[in-house]
Amino acid sequence: MDPLIYILDIIVFVGIFAIVALSLNLEYGFAGLGNFGKVAFFLTGAYTYALLSQIGLPFFLCLIIAALISASIGFLISLSALRLREDYLAIVTLTFGEILRLVVKAEHWIAGGVWGITMPSAISWAGASPRMMAAANIGLVYFCLILGFILVQLVSNSPYGRVLRAIREDETAAEALGKDRFKYKAQAFMLGSGLAGLGGGLFAQYLRFIDPYMFLPTVTFSVWIMVIIGGPANNWGALLGATLVELFSRGTRILKDYLLVPIDPNNLQYILFGLLIVFILLYRPQGLLKESQVKTKALEVISRWKKHS
Amino acid sequence: MEEALLRIREIRKNFGGLRAVDGVSLDVAAGSTTGLVGPNGSGKTTLFNIVFGIHKADKGSVYFNDESISHLAPHEVYARGLVNAFQLPRLFYRLTVLDNMLLAARGHKGDSFVNSLALRQEWQEQEMKLADKAMELLELLELDHLSLHPAAELSGGQRKLLEIGRALVSEPTLLLLDEPAAGINPNLGRRIFEKIETFRQKGLSFFIIEHRVEILLEFAHWIYVMDKGKIAVEGKPEEIVNNPTFYQVYFGEA
Ligand SMILES: Nc1ncnc2c1ncn2[C@@H]1O[C@H](COP(=O)(O)OP(=O)(O)OP(=O)(O)O)[C@@H](O)[C@H]1O
Ligand SMILES: [Mg+2]
Repeated sequence: MDPLIYILDIIVFVGIFAIVALSLNLEYGFAGLGNFGKVAFFLTGAYTYALLSQIGLPFFLCLIIAALISASIGFLISLSALRLREDYLAIVTLTFGEILRLVVKAEHWIAGGVWGITMPSAISWAGASPRMMAAANIGLVYFCLILGFILVQLVSNSPYGRVLRAIREDETAAEALGKDRFKYKAQAFMLGSGLAGLGGGLFAQYLRFIDPYMFLPTVTFSVWIMVIIGGPANNWGALLGATLVELFSRGTRILKDYLLVPIDPNNLQYILFGLLIVFILLYRPQGLLKESQVKTKALEVISRWKKHS
Repeated sequence: MEEALLRIREIRKNFGGLRAVDGVSLDVAAGSTTGLVGPNGSGKTTLFNIVFGIHKADKGSVYFNDESISHLAPHEVYARGLVNAFQLPRLFYRLTVLDNMLLAARGHKGDSFVNSLALRQEWQEQEMKLADKAMELLELLELDHLSLHPAAELSGGQRKLLEIGRALVSEPTLLLLDEPAAGINPNLGRRIFEKIETFRQKGLSFFIIEHRVEILLEFAHWIYVMDKGKIAVEGKPEEIVNNPTFYQVYFGEA
């Protein structure tokens, strides 16, 4: 395989998963919502994209609708799950992710069941080489990533983002300060699901083929690892985490082909992953980057006060 | 006495077999500082929690500004200008002292998702005004030098102060304070009550639970003494200090 394509491919994947990591960071890092079914919303976005692009809708419409449908499903889930106790949210979302995948797998009429579904290429033109196509995909993915990043940065550095953090710290106290915690949690969940759906849509459009095996619970877990390694409640951390995890998993995938070890090389990858997590949790439990401050003009006022006194 | 701002009628609350509040009726006059005292476990905090919507009463009603608030959630009660400061501070510990204060602002435009994006200019201006106000309060509570530190770094007494300062940021009509002077040094306790008095003169009303009766007697206009879920005595401070029932329920002596 063309090594440049391999590198471009990694760059695309980093971008896609950075979007999904940002979405989990919004839900978990800022609002404290333990969504263990992230892959469900990624899947929803991917399959929505695939089905719509088969009907011939233009790719940007497919992406927007993928995000919207994923957000709506997030909203529905949040209506039921967010009123339950915290640990139920984890269970409900985890189960939802698997159920959705099994339904797509079993029901052929939806999207080809186990055989998966192929879709026409959105970004192609006469005489486009694989390298050029990959570069075009990088452009699209990183355009979406930048938009998504600006959005979560604006949100987390606003009074709204401050309320989300407060709800994470103590939702009763937040309620006692006039914040309707269900509304905030549902919104954060919706926004997170929409972003994950966008990631799923980009994933489908890049691969042009998806099947249910691409949406195993391990996807959720690797996104969690990205957020935890990078540092929850820090959007740069989510980007860093996505990059590191993606590079690490590609690295170990290459490494295992050259290593002679008496264990299944696939398991080696998981073992190394496990070691990495243990290492980080031991030496840097808060993640590589610290929680970011809420940056508003209030900080300017404080520095003025500090100068006076 | 002025007209009643808060009216509590026949409130009853059981926890399992335990009757924590047993048919309490009382009024808090507008513009007053009203005290609530009583021995440990007499149901004072439970009564506050019912008023604020944290617990639902088994029976009875609560009216604030002549509106029934018995069935409202805490955030709805808060929106009407009735604010509660907890007995045990419930701060947002990983957030800064300043963030804790700013979170208490009522009617902050940037609190809503859409406005946080659409009305940036407006909420940023609001944010600066609020920060100024928050800093004034923090200076008063001697917490201004800690404004950018996480609330987790505060000492027990400082946490109590922040809990109260936070409630003041919201510019409430009526503030419920559950033992504001507990766990802080006596001097500071007095200063808090002096500050409360200046806020009262600006139009706020206070309903205060306090075990440090001597301070309360000095600042309150009307005092309710609670015992075993019931109001045992009520009256002006000077009447209360001369009432034998007060000593009996409070110190267990006649
Ligand atoms: N959530 C609860 N569940 C069960 N019992 C409770 C609960 N809250 C309070 N109680 C009980 O109700 C009674 C009244 O408690 P409450 O906290 O209202 O007393 P208090 O007057 O505030 O006491 P203190 O002065 O010690 O703060 C106590 O016996 C307490 O154990
Ligand atoms: Mg109490």
